[in-house]
Amino acid sequence: MATSSQVGTKRAVERRAASLTLDRALDFLATVALGLGAIFMAMPFVWMFATSLRPMNESFKLPPAWLPTEWHWENYAAVFQSSVPFLAFGLNSVKVTFFVTLGQLITCSMAGFAFARLRFPGRDLLFIVLLASLMVPGQVTIIPVFIIMRHLGLVDSHWALILPGLTSAFGVFLLRQFFLTMPQDLLDAARIDGAGPWKSFWRVALPLAGPSLAALTIITFNNTWNAYFGPLIFLNSWDKMTLPLGITALRGYLGSGSPAVVMAAVTMTVAPVLLVFLLAQRWFIEGITQSGIKG
Amino acid sequence: MASAQIRAPARTGWLSKERHREALAGYLFILPTFLGYTTFVVGPILAAIGISLTEYDMLSPARFIGLDNYLAMLSDPRLRTVYINTIFFTVTAVTLNVGIGLILAVLINRRLPAALKYIFRTTYFFPVLVALTYCAIIWQFLFQKDTGVFNYYLSFLGVEPVPWLNNRQWVLPSIIFMDVWKNTGFAMLVFLAGLQNIPSDYYEAAQIDGASPFRLFRHITLPLISPTFFFNMVIFMIGALQVFDSIVVLTQGGPGDASRSLVMYIYEKAFQSFDMGYASAVAITLFVMIMALTLVQFRLGRSWVHYE
Repeated sequence: MATSSQVGTKRAVERRAASLTLDRALDFLATVALGLGAIFMAMPFVWMFATSLRPMNESFKLPPAWLPTEWHWENYAAVFQSSVPFLAFGLNSVKVTFFVTLGQLITCSMAGFAFARLRFPGRDLLFIVLLASLMVPGQVTIIPVFIIMRHLGLVDSHWALILPGLTSAFGVFLLRQFFLTMPQDLLDAARIDGAGPWKSFWRVALPLAGPSLAALTIITFNNTWNAYFGPLIFLNSWDKMTLPLGITALRGYLGSGSPAVVMAAVTMTVAPVLLVFLLAQRWFIEGITQSGIKG
Repeated sequence: MASAQIRAPARTGWLSKERHREALAGYLFILPTFLGYTTFVVGPILAAIGISLTEYDMLSPARFIGLDNYLAMLSDPRLRTVYINTIFFTVTAVTLNVGIGLILAVLINRRLPAALKYIFRTTYFFPVLVALTYCAIIWQFLFQKDTGVFNYYLSFLGVEPVPWLNNRQWVLPSIIFMDVWKNTGFAMLVFLAGLQNIPSDYYEAAQIDGASPFRLFRHITLPLISPTFFFNMVIFMIGALQVFDSIVVLTQGGPGDASRSLVMYIYEKAFQSFDMGYASAVAITLFVMIMALTLVQFRLGRSWVHYE
């Protein structure tokens, strides 16, 4: 009896040891696989940066240079000296992104608060209609919106991009979800102190919404900053274009289409994204998973 | 006393002053969103349906032609091509993005040093944040037949130069390849959040019982992340059906129509041929398809998504 149970224990221990060894081996294999994959993931950006520093006439030289050995910063200067108004693209992108993001922070937090915390007839029906519109692809509405903008004389103006972007169903949804989780006691306390809906929103609810507002800022900022379809349809003049549209449409004019100069322009637009991401990674990741998981 | 008694019931009634004020505030709070939505979403959807029943080039007034645009679609060979391209792209890109994203998340979720986890998570996720147009500009150079990096390294393995973007057979797989590089990090991140919500004692209990890693994955991980899986499928499907930016930059739909997507075709018809009626009709079919597939996924989801 005693021996058989000892044998059983011994076998269990052996089995656990074997499974631990297997686990370690798998950890090691996972690290190797992820490492090789990560090298591949980074490769296009490394190539972009290395090429941006090569002499213009060596852009196509093989084998590709992965580490810059010479530092031809004049490729970066060439971006600004070319006929392409690169600086104007940047300012246009900043302008459009700023107004759209600010607008959404205001409209979405107000509507999100109302849908979560204020009672009014028709509230739930209106919210469902708003949610259903998340499924509408932008290509369906773009033709009528284009006709509206043409009537308003806003084609080839930044307002054609800003006005439709001032609110978003997604943002309302995100903020509503947050305000729903807020403790009701806080709002009750404010009401007893005589605060009306506006004061409860501004003084009590909004100061607590920091993380959700940060998430909305990041998502809206990134979507607007990277947008291509809308600008392609509404903007024609060179000096009105935003960065993704301008660089894509006019890359042939940058340094006579030299890959080195094109890559210098792309590097300058990608670098700030990388910097902001490394500094604010927590907000990025929370914003995206928050909207996904709790949605 | 008497006045207090009269006031008391009024306060709890629906038409009390406070309730009135709250409802009014509610309407004011949603007013900006309501105006934006009626002007730029709800109104335009109805208008798009109306325009799809007309012949309209924006110069002369629209002419009502009933369902002619919809009938014309049935005998449009180019539309058939772009539909097949878009569906091929969607099925392949969604499967690969979600599948690889899941594998990456499961690997990163193992017991790795925190610094390594951080580096992997950052590296795999970063392309998600970069504009698709910039990614496509970079990849266009990498894909070049004679001067591209891919063919250079493949030549060491004895592979003949592949015409990545100039060949009917290769062009869509190449675009999907880039799409997975660009977007799989998003699926990975969503899966990672889902995996971290699984209590670790589930695994410990199963491990004490001697369950193999593969059984753990099959019987604990998969059922518990099925809501995340479902979310990724829906999001990636909606996105893939609208593919546009990457193809415009990489191939402009070529060679021929071999890589043209549905949205590119809508764009061409509306803003290059100024056939607004036909373009709207095609856009409506895209809308209906997205809605139908989303509803089907929600229906099917009920049978395999496991909510705790």
